[in-house]
Amino acid sequence: MSLRPLITAASLFALTGAAPAAPDAAGLEFFEKKVRPLLAERCLECHSPDKKVKGGLRLDTRDGWLKGGDTGPAIVPGDPDQSLLITAIRYKDRDLQMPEKRKLPDAEIAVLEEWVKMGAPDPRIGGAVAKKQTGLSLDDGRKFWSYAPVKQPAIPAVKAAAWPRGDIDRFILARIEAAGAQPAADAAPAALCRRIHYTLTGLPPTPEQLDAFIQSATRNRQSASSSLVDSLLAMPQFGEKWGRHWLDVARFAESSGGGRTLLFKDAWRYRDYVIESLNADVPFDRFIREQLAGDLLPAATPADRRRQLAATAFLALGPTNYEEQDKQQLRFDVIDEQLETLGRAFLGQTIGCARCHDHKFDPVPQRDYYALAGILASTRTLANYTDNVAKWIAAPLPLDGANEGALREHEERLAALRKELDAAKAALAQASKAATEATSKPGTPIAADSLPGIVIDNTQAKVVGEWISSTHVRSFIGQDYLHDGNARKGEKSITFTPAITKAGRYEIRLAYAHAAGRAKNVRVHILHADGEEDVFVDQSLPPPIDGRFVSLGKFRFEKDGAGYVLISNDGTTGYVTADALQLVAEDAEAAPDLAKDTGPDAAGKRAAQQRVKKLEADLKALAKDGPDRPTAMAVRDDDKIADTHIRIRGLVKQTGELAPRGFLRAAMTEEAPALSPKESGRRELADWIADARNPLTARVTVNRVWHWLFGAGLVRTVDNFGTTGEKPSHPDLLDHLALRFAAEGWGMKKLIREIMLSRTWQLAVAAPGGSDPENRLFAHANRRRLDAEQIRDGILATSGALKLEVGGPNIAQAGDVDPNNFSAQNIEYSYVFADTRRSVYVPAFRNKRLELFEAFDFGDINASMGHRNVSTVAPQALYFLNHPFVAEQSKLAAQRALAEPGDDAARLTALFRRTLGRPPSTAEAEKCLAFLASAPPAGQLDAWAQVQQAVFASLDFRYLE
Amino acid sequence: MNLQDPLPTRRAALRQLGCGFGYLALAGLAAQEKARAAVNPLAPRPPQFKPRAKRVIFLFMQGGVSQVDSFDYKPRLEKDDGQMLDFDDSREIAKTGKSGAQRVMKPLWDFRQHGQSGLWVSDLFPEMAKHADDLCVIRSMHTEGIAHGPATLFLHTGSTNFIRPSMGAWVNYGLGSENENLPGFVTISPSLGNGGPRNYGNAFLPAIYQGTAIGRAGLPAKESTIRNLRPARSPEEARRQFDLLRDLNAEQLRRKPGESELEAVINSYELAWRMQGEAPQVLDFAKESPETLALYGIGEKDTDNFGRQCLLARRMCESGVRFVQVNYGDNTNNPAWDQHSNLKKHGEHARAVDRPISGLLTDLKQRGLLEDTIVWWGGEFGRTPYAEKNGTGRDHNPNGFSIWLAGGGVKRGVAYGETDEFGHHAVTDKVHMHDLHATLLHALGLDHEALTYRYAGRNFRLTDVYGNVVQDIFA
Repeated sequence: MSLRPLITAASLFALTGAAPAAPDAAGLEFFEKKVRPLLAERCLECHSPDKKVKGGLRLDTRDGWLKGGDTGPAIVPGDPDQSLLITAIRYKDRDLQMPEKRKLPDAEIAVLEEWVKMGAPDPRIGGAVAKKQTGLSLDDGRKFWSYAPVKQPAIPAVKAAAWPRGDIDRFILARIEAAGAQPAADAAPAALCRRIHYTLTGLPPTPEQLDAFIQSATRNRQSASSSLVDSLLAMPQFGEKWGRHWLDVARFAESSGGGRTLLFKDAWRYRDYVIESLNADVPFDRFIREQLAGDLLPAATPADRRRQLAATAFLALGPTNYEEQDKQQLRFDVIDEQLETLGRAFLGQTIGCARCHDHKFDPVPQRDYYALAGILASTRTLANYTDNVAKWIAAPLPLDGANEGALREHEERLAALRKELDAAKAALAQASKAATEATSKPGTPIAADSLPGIVIDNTQAKVVGEWISSTHVRSFIGQDYLHDGNARKGEKSITFTPAITKAGRYEIRLAYAHAAGRAKNVRVHILHADGEEDVFVDQSLPPPIDGRFVSLGKFRFEKDGAGYVLISNDGTTGYVTADALQLVAEDAEAAPDLAKDTGPDAAGKRAAQQRVKKLEADLKALAKDGPDRPTAMAVRDDDKIADTHIRIRGLVKQTGELAPRGFLRAAMTEEAPALSPKESGRRELADWIADARNPLTARVTVNRVWHWLFGAGLVRTVDNFGTTGEKPSHPDLLDHLALRFAAEGWGMKKLIREIMLSRTWQLAVAAPGGSDPENRLFAHANRRRLDAEQIRDGILATSGALKLEVGGPNIAQAGDVDPNNFSAQNIEYSYVFADTRRSVYVPAFRNKRLELFEAFDFGDINASMGHRNVSTVAPQALYFLNHPFVAEQSKLAAQRALAEPGDDAARLTALFRRTLGRPPSTAEAEKCLAFLASAPPAGQLDAWAQVQQAVFASLDFRYLE
Repeated sequence: MNLQDPLPTRRAALRQLGCGFGYLALAGLAAQEKARAAVNPLAPRPPQFKPRAKRVIFLFMQGGVSQVDSFDYKPRLEKDDGQMLDFDDSREIAKTGKSGAQRVMKPLWDFRQHGQSGLWVSDLFPEMAKHADDLCVIRSMHTEGIAHGPATLFLHTGSTNFIRPSMGAWVNYGLGSENENLPGFVTISPSLGNGGPRNYGNAFLPAIYQGTAIGRAGLPAKESTIRNLRPARSPEEARRQFDLLRDLNAEQLRRKPGESELEAVINSYELAWRMQGEAPQVLDFAKESPETLALYGIGEKDTDNFGRQCLLARRMCESGVRFVQVNYGDNTNNPAWDQHSNLKKHGEHARAVDRPISGLLTDLKQRGLLEDTIVWWGGEFGRTPYAEKNGTGRDHNPNGFSIWLAGGGVKRGVAYGETDEFGHHAVTDKVHMHDLHATLLHALGLDHEALTYRYAGRNFRLTDVYGNVVQDIFA
């Protein structure tokens, strides 16, 4: 149930001042006899602390209703009409009806009205308590570890001084030693090589890369690792793998999903932006600023501008329900999604919890939510708030140097032509005005071909039943109109079938001869490209257009497609008439055909019309030949910059006090900067988040990197650094990394490199157990499951089918989307996932996913997700056993193995090395060779494919050592 | 009830047991059962209190059936047919904040009273009407969402826009599955549109609880199956290859002893293998008698497709699936029942579903399954009692509509709640979609306020902070 605001905040204030007078004896008697029992029976179940206090309203004490609930005082003594309680029980307001389930009997409503009118005498004094902020207070919150400033910890001393390779290892070893445990041995070179490759590029090492690494690692393990890490960090595949991590956090998708899923045709630019940023090692603080406020930042080059605009898609590509009919609701839902996403992504905060009330656990008052919401409410994410189905903003992008010049020239030429055309049209309109008035004046007949668009006269229509020709009402088209003689209802119809030579939307107009006694409910049935429609026409009223036509609406028609307009006299009372049908293309300007015009200045008019036609043709030709300006999904500052109101219980229409734009106060080290009244405040928001002094950002970010590298963060709840999240296992190490990360320029590659080259990261895997079953000490490496992309890309790399093209659009058919067009989703629903590029380029539709992604915990791309679930379910096993993708790729990989020189044993070794990064064990080789030997000679390829498929399905493919 | 603690990961469970599957093989049968329950997140769990029903079949009438043409008889509509009267049109109000006059449209089907109970049902559903004495029609439903997408998501997940688990996933999470070789939540022929997979998604619940789609809207039910269930090769070859995989996995595990997670993966292959054996039998109608097939209208043009879906639902129930959704819909923005114009088309849809549903009720009853199965029939909202844009159809109406329940301990042959005299807004004994969710969970022995899952720092539930159990509908 939603509650509509009935009284403004200001008037509430005025009203609360009116305290009830002391009750007199008669009033008290009335209360005791009639009101108290009524309240007890009907209201207190939901409005007293014994049971529930719904909507924050208590009706068990006088102070309870005086203070009121979330929507303000419930009763204004003496004034029933101003009392919310009375409004609610009257059941007249559709958004405020109490009791929820059933209206009270009229007699009881009268009792309460009477009681309020007499001043609401109520002896039940005391009890109600003023509302205060729930959850952690701001002051207490600032003491909580994640909101406290990052501090430089001392590097701990360790006993095994030779063990650490750097400070990371010292922090880790100190804890291991303190726990009386031992670090595991170093990982074997082959396992390490596979681990480094999959971790940095998401792809397996080739047998040659494997051999090279093992050789050099035997000589010097540390330099071998460091040069391998460096070389992989420089590969474009690094950005594809690590960009994918961030795309999870950014809930990247290429369609909106939800109700009416719409294709985000430009979303790939954001994906490429992320991949390129990782590859170019864009400092993370800049990466934050670009995603939140790229449109507001200065750009040195057109390329920078393009990047920065594309980056703001971060705010735009959520799972928006563009179909939501209440556009203000939609607007706040979008804001909420943006806040939730940016809160999680950069700050590890569950800000969304404070939409309806103060955060129950964290120091995030509702006011802070709406302070942030004001920034996003001053930002435009939707193109407009009026369309039936809304849409995002496609921002035009600048081109480089000469190209931009050429494009601009082209656009200027287009603009000039359009201007010229407008002028010519105006001239034509002026010239034809007299003629139009003369011919279209009601009361005179007009020729069908003097009207613009497609005109079908009644003489060209298909007529069923007896229709009578008439010229009685003079404003007809052609030679006459038809009427049904007001007889044989339900047996007569007239069908107009237009010949459509150009597909598009047309306004359909029906001409009829009106008169007072005509039928008032003539059913007109329209069959168009998107379905059928019935429209009713009241022929007793004069036709609104030129006294001749009534518009039946705009409909889409296909070229030469089926389509008709049928007028029936079924169910009518009074005469039904039909004269002609006119179809005017939506984009066409109505212009009368002047060819047969013989009036004054006919030549001039004809010349004007010629000019319009020529200009239209020129414009079309120019637009077709010239370059198109590319666009990006983006946000921009809204035309109106303003603070927004707190919304009581999160209800959009239920406004509370104004919340000045600002940030999370718990995570602020100094006073908030004043936000410009001319900008949304996103720039300042980004500055605040990307500040080294922000206690959350750097901690959250280095923890994410740690999580992506180890499979578990120092704080394992990577998206939640609030009080309900987990505390860090190594708070000092976290601060050490965070501080240096920010101080040394927010470089991702540097951070990744440092962690990967630590001894800790390079330890061997061990079985969980002992005193640290969850491996919170990081005393050994975690055995890690290949994720969905690693499985797919690993299989494709093994089979040789993987294509390594970097970037670019990936949905060939994706064009501009008309959200109101019913076929907008067909590309997604009928999409066939067939290409073998890397997984990061597989179209990320929200309503239709690649099956492999669904099966292997790719994760829900509807919400920001720093940590994918890992599940072990039978559908995964079925996928490996029976899915055609695995079977086909196994066959390709088997062909590769069979092409290897040597005997079956040598080929099997090649197959294992390519798939698992190691040769088969004796037992494995024995089993596989026996399997191959028992296959018929003709079925060798198939037998090899089966072996390959089993190796793909085996544990050692699915896990990283 | 927060099940997260008693529902450990496989790894944690095995760790607690202090051993792996190797040990299990040696342990007694009872111990095996216990261990399996700990390891299998789908193992059946006892309800929170004594349930009335063990499972749910949801017959989803996508697009919104008109209540005033089916189960909500309003003589006033006949009296005022054609009159222009003021109505609060929710779409207009959402868009513009105001509303205007609309043309009242009488029902296109005649209403009659049926059975001992005298329940009013229109001629739109003559077969369902024969079960009048088994139905509990709730005529005072109301919900959120005016467009299909939001309302359909609300119906399934209790939220128009936020990403939340589907009701079937919650039930699966709360109760587990009675058959470990089959998924606990199945949706037959779901639509790609109007929320698509989110309507049977697990959202933040563990993936194991998500609905398994069998077929999809637009695909003939005859060809619908569970994905990847059938090996491409002959049974003998498939067996040989599976044995090879078993050998490789055993060998690889031997070198990493004590890795319970790896054992869980091996276990998933064993389960998959058993599913390959069992699930096709559930999907195969070969052993159904001709009488049964006829009961569902299978083999007849109008009813074959939906009849197959309904029969499959019964077979799933028999095999222990907890929540079966049967979808009557398509992938468009104006799904099946969405008659904005040409309301007569309701008749076509009714012909397709009426007999299969009637057959399902008869069949469940004669097999004794109706006693502990709740059948839930309905759409995401209803339709307006007036013509849309003065045309021949009806627009969406979330403010008042009808659904029915049958079986599983609900009252029989009753109508609960009322709409206003036009059938537009629910007014008496109103049942919000949140209330219906709470009530259905209650029937299954689950307290909707206690069935929670901790995610992103707080406890979530199907009914958010709303929902009241409608106790009055239970017998």
